[in-house]
Amino acid sequence: MPKYLARRLGQSLLTVFLTLTTVFLLVRLAPGDPAAAYAGPTATTADLARIRGEFGLDQPLIQQYGIFLRDLLTGNLGTSYSFRAPALDVVLDRMPYTITLAVAAIAVTAVVAVPLGVWMARRADSKRELGANVLTITGQSMPDFWTGVMLLTVFAVLLPVLPASGFTSWSGLVLPTVTVAILQLALISRLVRREMTTALNSPYITVARSRGFSERALTWRYALGNSGVPLITAIGTRFAALLNGVVVVEVVFGWPGVGSLVVRALETRDYPLIQATVLVTATLAILVQLLVDLAYPLLDPRVRLGKAA
Amino acid sequence: MTTALRSAASSGAPSAGSGGRPSAVTARDLARATATRQRRGARFKLWAGTVCTALVVLPVALARVLPLPGADAQDLSERRLPPLSDGHLFGTDQLGRDLLSRVLHGGQVSLTVGILAVLVSGVIGIAAGAAAGFFGGWADTVVSRLLEAQLALPLLMMLLLVVALFGPSVTVITCVIAVAQWPEVARLTRSLVLVEREKPYVAAARVLGLRGWSVLGRHVIPNVVRPASLVVLLLLAQAVLLESALSFLGAGPQRPFATWGRIISDGQDYITTSWWLVTLPGLVIALLVVGVNLIGDGLRDRTRTARLPRGVRAPRTSRGARAGKGV
Repeated sequence: MPKYLARRLGQSLLTVFLTLTTVFLLVRLAPGDPAAAYAGPTATTADLARIRGEFGLDQPLIQQYGIFLRDLLTGNLGTSYSFRAPALDVVLDRMPYTITLAVAAIAVTAVVAVPLGVWMARRADSKRELGANVLTITGQSMPDFWTGVMLLTVFAVLLPVLPASGFTSWSGLVLPTVTVAILQLALISRLVRREMTTALNSPYITVARSRGFSERALTWRYALGNSGVPLITAIGTRFAALLNGVVVVEVVFGWPGVGSLVVRALETRDYPLIQATVLVTATLAILVQLLVDLAYPLLDPRVRLGKAA
Repeated sequence: MTTALRSAASSGAPSAGSGGRPSAVTARDLARATATRQRRGARFKLWAGTVCTALVVLPVALARVLPLPGADAQDLSERRLPPLSDGHLFGTDQLGRDLLSRVLHGGQVSLTVGILAVLVSGVIGIAAGAAAGFFGGWADTVVSRLLEAQLALPLLMMLLLVVALFGPSVTVITCVIAVAQWPEVARLTRSLVLVEREKPYVAAARVLGLRGWSVLGRHVIPNVVRPASLVVLLLLAQAVLLESALSFLGAGPQRPFATWGRIISDGQDYITTSWWLVTLPGLVIALLVVGVNLIGDGLRDRTRTARLPRGVRAPRTSRGARAGKGV
């Protein structure tokens, strides 16, 4: 177990490091001058040169990379050009909002999708199940920005019951959460349905039923329990993806999370900010994946981590 | 099963549905059997999907033939006309351009990007997945690590970054979407090939002296292309959505016509006064994507009911690849 953990952590570190390097190179290859974006259209050549010197952009690429790595070891990711503050702090300030949205969205998804999937498995291939299936597919097929704008129009403009944008009170969380959850519903509910159909047709369920177990226990305890590993994998993967920034939904709702920060950082070519965002989100996403893998033995005692099956 | 027995006991006579042979199974039982219901569900999905897709794809394909005003023809005296007004089925936008014409012409770009992206990601995914599954060893290590790394990447952000780097041309956006999508194909192909390579015909081909690459290319890949290509339809739906999200964020192709996401983000400012500018293009996207998703789903259901007897599990990727191998 400790050996497995060490190996996984090592791999994760390597992934984060390679991602950061890729991003470091990509942003510097991209056209667009951070100095010009920073100084505005009236800047003179001398101004631009001064700003480049200030940001350290006048040095050769390899030297910039060296400085970047050295600073990385001390936890210093540079100063954001547009916020004039340590880039890491700017990102960490925004992170709670993204985490809140991701947790709320994944919780709503799970609370709706799991019972729905169970219901679909028990009513497999009936007309009503087909209807539910088509409905979730429709939810998955709507572009999230469009769903967001539509919900906004209906619930914030036409019937002003919910705030339109930003995070001023908890009710501001409702619309973004629903928008994200609609997209995830189909995936999770169909996974639950598939796993549950297989489980409910297994011999052990027949045996348990013949011994007089209640249908409720059969469904929720035994069949759903045995679907735990793929279910947690899917939910964990989705959660990790959400942590990486629900860029579009955050932009639509003016949500002050990392997703909208990314868009702004890209527009202003804020290199340190882009790098800090990638570092934080990639680390979090990898941690979630790791936690999911560590949860397998709890859900299924047959799984032994670090050993071939 | 129980209904069949019960009705057999009550009627006791051979039914017309079984072709004259004496059988306890009545036509009604057949109509209620799980397999029939599954087939019916799959058929419904295929039909509904085809109708939805055709409703969008045909007009888009015929955009140049249909009697429509030009997509870029502005008429400032006819700004923001509501739908169904004279000569403008979808109304007009803030610059007096015909919305239907814009949606159809933009759709040509969106669809082209989607189809090309799926073709590219299909080729990359099948090649990489097949090589990883068939050869194992370092090929598998490299491909599997890449797949895992991509899970950890902030995807949309990387896409935005690459578009900023190379400019929002159709080629760049196609490649960007293809890169975003190949893992799905690769993961499925890899798992299919892992099953396939243990079959006797592979051993036979080797005994006959074929080298690895020939076995893989001539014998194994043809056997996995069909199931793998089913995912491709579902990916097409995702590609259309991804392209519209990119162009909503301002990173979509701008020439020759603005694509769907761009039209929606343009109309966003007028949402309170001109609902159609956002609603109608969004409905078109949703209709197309629902259609493609339903077709893909129906086809998958059909092959599943046709090929696998009940209770046999379809090959799974997520669980085996992640939990079982203890990576």
